[in-house]
Amino acid sequence: METEFVFEFKCKGLKSKLTVPVNIPVKEPVEELVGRLVKAKNLPAYVVEDLQKDLCKFVEVKTAEWNEKNGEEAIKAVFDNKIDENILIDKWNKAFTQEVKTYAKPEEVTNEQMFSEVYHSLIHSPALETVLNLEHTYALSVEDIITNRDADLNHLDSKQQEEMEEALNNVGIKYNDEDINQLAQRHFDNTQLISSKWASELSNLKETQKREFKEWVMKVHEDSQNNSIPPTYLLRAMSSALPDAEDEERQSQPTRLEESFTIHLGAQMKTTHNIRLLCTDVLDLCRHKTHTVGGIAIPQPQRLQTAMSLYSNSLCGLVILVDNRVNNYTGMKRAFSKVCEQSTDFHFPDLDHRYSMLEQEVIKMNELRRKKKEEDDMSIKSNGSNINTGDFYITEHSNLSEIHVVFHLVCDDSVRASDISSRHPAILSLRNIIKLCFRYDIHTITIPLLLTHEMTEEMTIPWCMKRAELIYKCVKGFMIEMATYGAQESRTIQFLVPRGLSEDMFNNISNMLPTIFRLSNPVIHRTGP
Amino acid sequence: MTALGKAEFGVQTFFAASYPNDKCGANGLPLTPNSIKILGRFQVLKTYEHPNICKYLDIVRTKHERLIVVSEYYKDNLQNKVKTDHFHSEKKVIELAFEILKGLTYVQSKNLTHRNISLDNILLTQKNEVKLSEYGLYHMTDEGADVSFPIGKAKYMAPEVFCCGPVVVDENCEKGISPPSGPKADCWSLGIVLLEVLLVSNMFVKKPDSMISKVLIFFLEKDPLEFLAKDCGFEDKLQNISVELLSFIKWCLTKSPSKRPSCQQLKHHSIFTVLNSQEVPYKNGYKILSVKPRSLDLELPVLDQLSVLDPDHLSQRSMEEVYYLWRLAGGELESILKKAGLIKSHPPITLLPLLCGCEGEVSGHIRDQGELLDQTKVVLSQDQLRNRLQDIEEKAYYPLLEDDNLGLPTSPSSGDLSDTASLPLVIKERDIEYQFHRIILYERLLKAYPYKRPYIWKEARLDIPPLVRAHVWAALLEVEGDIDGEYDNIDKETPTTTDRQIEVDIPRCHQYHQLLSSPTAHYKFKRVLKAWVVSHSHYVYWQGLDSLCAPFLALNFNHEALAYACLKAFIPKYLHNFFLKDNSAVIQEYLAVFSHLITFHDAELGNHLDGIGFIPDLYAIPWFLTMYAHVFPLHKVLHLWDTLLLGNSSFPLCIGVAILQQLRARLLSYGFNECILLFSDMPEISIEQCVQDSIRIFCSTPKSATYRQHARPMKKVNDMRPNLSYYSRDYNEQPQTELSMEAISIEDLKSEKCPRISAEDLIELGELAGPRHTKSPTKKKQSGKPMILVIDVRSIEEFKRGNVPGSINIPFQTAFSPEGDLSPCQSVTTLNSCKSLVKVIVGNRGRNASNFANELVRLGYSRVCVLHKGIDILRSTGLIIVPPADF
Repeated sequence: METEFVFEFKCKGLKSKLTVPVNIPVKEPVEELVGRLVKAKNLPAYVVEDLQKDLCKFVEVKTAEWNEKNGEEAIKAVFDNKIDENILIDKWNKAFTQEVKTYAKPEEVTNEQMFSEVYHSLIHSPALETVLNLEHTYALSVEDIITNRDADLNHLDSKQQEEMEEALNNVGIKYNDEDINQLAQRHFDNTQLISSKWASELSNLKETQKREFKEWVMKVHEDSQNNSIPPTYLLRAMSSALPDAEDEERQSQPTRLEESFTIHLGAQMKTTHNIRLLCTDVLDLCRHKTHTVGGIAIPQPQRLQTAMSLYSNSLCGLVILVDNRVNNYTGMKRAFSKVCEQSTDFHFPDLDHRYSMLEQEVIKMNELRRKKKEEDDMSIKSNGSNINTGDFYITEHSNLSEIHVVFHLVCDDSVRASDISSRHPAILSLRNIIKLCFRYDIHTITIPLLLTHEMTEEMTIPWCMKRAELIYKCVKGFMIEMATYGAQESRTIQFLVPRGLSEDMFNNISNMLPTIFRLSNPVIHRTGP
Repeated sequence: MTALGKAEFGVQTFFAASYPNDKCGANGLPLTPNSIKILGRFQVLKTYEHPNICKYLDIVRTKHERLIVVSEYYKDNLQNKVKTDHFHSEKKVIELAFEILKGLTYVQSKNLTHRNISLDNILLTQKNEVKLSEYGLYHMTDEGADVSFPIGKAKYMAPEVFCCGPVVVDENCEKGISPPSGPKADCWSLGIVLLEVLLVSNMFVKKPDSMISKVLIFFLEKDPLEFLAKDCGFEDKLQNISVELLSFIKWCLTKSPSKRPSCQQLKHHSIFTVLNSQEVPYKNGYKILSVKPRSLDLELPVLDQLSVLDPDHLSQRSMEEVYYLWRLAGGELESILKKAGLIKSHPPITLLPLLCGCEGEVSGHIRDQGELLDQTKVVLSQDQLRNRLQDIEEKAYYPLLEDDNLGLPTSPSSGDLSDTASLPLVIKERDIEYQFHRIILYERLLKAYPYKRPYIWKEARLDIPPLVRAHVWAALLEVEGDIDGEYDNIDKETPTTTDRQIEVDIPRCHQYHQLLSSPTAHYKFKRVLKAWVVSHSHYVYWQGLDSLCAPFLALNFNHEALAYACLKAFIPKYLHNFFLKDNSAVIQEYLAVFSHLITFHDAELGNHLDGIGFIPDLYAIPWFLTMYAHVFPLHKVLHLWDTLLLGNSSFPLCIGVAILQQLRARLLSYGFNECILLFSDMPEISIEQCVQDSIRIFCSTPKSATYRQHARPMKKVNDMRPNLSYYSRDYNEQPQTELSMEAISIEDLKSEKCPRISAEDLIELGELAGPRHTKSPTKKKQSGKPMILVIDVRSIEEFKRGNVPGSINIPFQTAFSPEGDLSPCQSVTTLNSCKSLVKVIVGNRGRNASNFANELVRLGYSRVCVLHKGIDILRSTGLIIVPPADF
C-alpha cells in the first residue's frame, strides 16, 4: 500500500515541507529510511530527531490501518457471501484434522506395521539367528518345489518334443496337418495344466509359510515380552552343530571384478562418499548363492545384513532397466521375477500383485499428465496404460541378497545410441531416483553404468568410454545437487558394468573415475619434521 | 542479557512443508527448502528479551525437513493453573491480564503478531509471573506459509483470521495469498483467554468442526460475548464479574478489527490504572558496542549482612551461556525427543511411492503420519550440566581481571586447565569445564571493552570460544564507535550498478551453510555488501568480497551493523587497496612476495613450481583476495581467522606457504596439469596443522622480507600496544629510516628468487648493535627470532677492507665450479654446517648478490635472502669492521 508522508520543519525562518511516498508495510527499519531521507533531501541535522519521531508514528499508524483494512475485507468477503461459509469451515476442519495430531484421527496400527516393528526388534535381538535360520529353512523348501517343478516341466518338454518330432517326421503318413495342430494344442494345454498346478502349489506353500512365519514372529515376540523363556529357545532346536567345511567349500566363490574409491564432493564443505565399480551380472546382487558347509546349505552372510537393515534408515537400492510393458514375461523382467520367486517374501506382496496395483497407478498418472498437457496444448495423444520411457516403478523386497528396493527404469532402444545427452529421459530418471534415495534414506544405490545389462556389438570401446563418462558426470552433478542445504550423510554408489566386459575396458573405466570424482586425500606417512 | 533464573529449557519439534517431488523454482534451480527459510527467519527471535516472554534459544534442522526449537520453558501454564483456583479473585485476573499485555506489547513492538495465544502457551513461573511462549511460530514460518499445519488454536482465533481461511501458498512467490494477520488478532485471543480464566472452564469442546461453524455465526449476532454466554451456558456466571472487567473483555471481543483496541490501548484501560502507575519500565541491561551511556541505568545491588547471595551461581549466568554449556555437557536434542516419543516415523521402506514419472511426479505413496504437528514440549534436564559443574569453586564464577598473572584456575576435577589450553582447538571447544572458564572470563573482558583490549588480545592468542567469537573478533579488529548509527545512515536500497553482480554471487557463496543459504541471509548479505560498496567509492566490488563478508555475517547474523563494521575494519588491515578498480600492481607485488616466501622456506618446492611454470598467479589470487574464505568451509575459516586476526598484514602470506607445505609431497610429484587440477578443487587441509605451520613460518621469516610498497602505510595514531617483541608490529607500520626497505619495481621482484631484507633488520637479527631483549610473538619459547649467517660475496680484497662482523666470505666470481656446484672451501663448509640458519647475502651494488642467491636456491638452499642495497648501506652505521690482518 502506497502512502504519503508529509513532514514540515522550519529552516532559517522558512517553513519547508517534505513529501515522501512510503510503502506500507515497511520492510527496512525506520532509522534507515530517515538516514536515506536526510541524505537525499540534504536535511539539516537538527530536524533528524523530529523526523525520526514523526516517521515512526506515521509508519505505526499506517501499518495498523493497513492491517485493519485487510481484516475488514476478509470479514466482509464472508459476510457478503463472496466466500461460502461451508467451504471455509470445511477448509479449516481439513487443516486441523489432517495436520495437527491432537485433532487427527488416531492412526490405526495395521498388522503390517505391527509385524514390521516386531520383526525389526526381533532381528536386533538374540533371536536373530533363529529368525534367519527359519527363513532359510522356508527358502529351502520353496527351492525344493521349484527344482521339482523345473524338472517336471523339462521332462514334459522333452517328451512333447519327441512326440512332435515323431509326428512331424510322419506327416502325410500317419498324421495330417489337423492332427499336428491338435497335438500342438494338447501339448500346450498339458504344459499349462502342469505349470498352473505347480504355480498353485508354490503359491499355497508361500501363503502357508507367510502365515506361519508371521505367527511365529509374533509369538516369539510375545514370549520374549513375557520373559518366560529366552527367545533363543528355538535356536537350539534348529541349528545343530555344523559339520566341518569341506575343502572345495573353503574356496571362496568366484570373485567379481570390483574396485572401490572414497571421494569428496563439494567445493568448500566436503562430503565423503564411497564409489564402487563392479563387473558382474545385475541379478547377482539379488540372487542368494547356495552356500554350503559340509554339504549343508546355510544362509549367506549378506542375508543377515539385509534383514537387519530392512526397516532401518539405511537401505540398499538397485536400478534395473526394463521395457514398457507391465508384466514379467520377457527379458530382464522374467529373469528378475525368477530370482524373486526363489523364496517367500514375508514382508511385501509378490510381483504379480505389484503389477496389478501398478497398472492402476499408470492409468491414473497418464490421465493426470494428459490433463496437465492439455492446459499447455491440445494436440496430445493419450497413451492409456503404457509406461513412458524414463518413468520408473519401485518394488520393495525382503528376500533378495543385497537389495531392499528395486527401481525398474523403463528404457527403449534409444539408450543404445552412442550420442545420448544428459537430457535423455533415462538420465533425468537417474536424477529422480537419486532424489528419492535422499528422501527415503536409501544409502546404497547400484546403477548400471552403461545403461545396459549385457554386452552387445554396438558397444565399442569409444561407445563404452563415452557412456561411462556421461553417467559419471551426471551422477556427480545429481549428488552435488541433492547434497546442498547441508545433507552431510555419506552414501555409497555402485556402478555396475555387465559381465563380459573385458578386463582392459574395466580398467579404463576405473581409471577414468578419479579424473571425474575427486578422491579423498591419500594417507601419507610422514617421517621427520 | 536474560539470566537463567529458575527457567527450564523446553524443546519441541515440527516439520516444514515439503515441496512436491517434481516442483522446481522459476529459474529451474532447486527450491530453497522451507526448513532453511524458517531457520533464517528464526534467528532474529533469539534477540528478543522481556520479562514476560520466553526467550528463544536455538533452532536445529535435521533430516527430511524436521526442525527442533529450543526456548525458555516453565512447567506451569494457565491451562493447568486455572483449575487450581489460583485466579479466583478478580484482582489476580487483572494482574494476569496486565502481565500478558506487557508481553504482547513488547512482542508487537517488534512487528510480530503472536497469532498463537492459548491457555497452554501462557506459561507461569514459580512466582506466577507470566511468560508468553510460542509467539515466534507465526513469524518464523513466514505467517504460516512454510508449514502445512495451521498456527494457533481455532477457538482463540479472531473473526478476521477465520475469514481468511487457512494459509494458501502462492505457487510462484511461495508466500501466503491472503495478507498476514495483524496484531489486533491477539487482542481478541486475549479476551477469550481471560474469559476462560474467569469462568474456569474451556470455551468449546476439543473437536474443531462444531465450534468453527459456531464462531461464524458471530457475525449474525450483535455482541460476540452475549452470544458466547448463551451458547456455552455461562450467562449466570457473567453476573458475578465486575462491570469494569466485563467491559474490558467486551472491548477485546470487538468483532470489527478497526474498532477493536490495540494492545497499547487495552493497556490503558481503567482497570489497569493502579498497575500502570506502579509499572517499572523494562531496561535491557548493557549492550556491547553501543554509544549510549552504559551506566545510565546502573543500580548497584545493596549487599549487607541481611542479603543472602543465591548459592545457585549458574542461574545468574545468561541463558545463552547455560544453553551453550548444556550442549557441551552432552545434551542431545534428537535423542531426548526420541525418548519422549516425539520423533516417530515409519520405516522409509514402507513409505516409498509406487511409480515415478520422468519429470519427477510420484504416485502411490502414503503420508507419514509422524509428520503431523505435535505441540508437546519436552523439558531438557539440567541435571547433567549441574553435575558436571558442581565441583567448580564459587570464585570461578566471578574472576578478577586486575590480577596480572591470572591465567587459568586449577580445578579439582580435571587438574590444571592450562594443560587443556595446549590441546588442539577442536578438543578445547568440546571441553565443558574449559569453556566454562573461558566464556566467563571473556564475558567480563568484553564488558570492559575497549579498556581491556590488550587483555582480550592476550587471551585470544590462547583461543576464542565459539560463543563469544563474534564480539572478540570485533575487539581484535578494534571496532568502536556508533556502528549502528553509521550503518543506518548508509543507503542500502537505491539500486547501483553492482547490484546485479552481487545478486549473482550471493547464491554461490558458502551455500552448504544452512544459515547462509536462507533467504534472510541473502537479504542481509546484499545489504552489507551494498553498504560497503556505497561507502567506499574509491574501491569497486570484486568477486570475493562476498566470501570475505560471509564469516562476519554468519557470526553477527542478528547484528548487520557489526558485520559491516568488522568487514570495514578487516579489509584495510589485510587487503589494503586490493579492491581498487585497477588492483594489478597491488596483487602482482603480493604474489611476487609470496613466490619469494615459498622459495625462502622451501627451495626445493619453489624450484619445482617455478620449473613447471605453476606460478602463484594461477592459484593464489582467490586465496589472498578472500583471505582463504573462498577456499575453506566456514568452520575452518573461523579457526583460521582466529589466528589470522592476531597477525599483521604479512601473516596471510605465511598461511599460503603453510598450505603448500601440507600438499608438498603431491605437488613435488605432480606436473603442471595435475597441479592445476589439484587446486581447482582444493583438497582437504588440516587447519590446526596449517595454523601451527603458518605461525612457525611467520616466526622464521625476517620481517622486512615481506615488505610491500603497496601495503597500508603507517597509521598516524600511536599504537596502544607496546612494541614488545620483534614481530609485534607490522613492518609497514614502523617508522621509516634510511636503513629501511624501499619500493622495488615489480620487474626486479619477479627476476629475483629471494626476498630482500633491510639493513635495520640485519642489524636487529644479527644483534650488531648489541643484544636486545625481545620476546617471541607466540607463547612458545623455542622460537624467538630467526638466527642468521651473513655471507659476503664481494672479492676477497673488498672483504678484507671491511665487513660485517661474523660474516663469511664466498666471492661470487670464484664461488661456483663450471658444473654449477659450490667450489669447496672453508666458508662453504661453514655454510653447509649452518643450513638451517637464515642466510643473508651481502654484496656491492649490482646484481652479484641476488645472482649468488639465485644460484644457492637452485642448489636447494632454503632461507636465503639478500641485503637490500648491499654493503654500502651499512657504511654510515659504523658497524663495518676490518678483520685482523692474519685472517
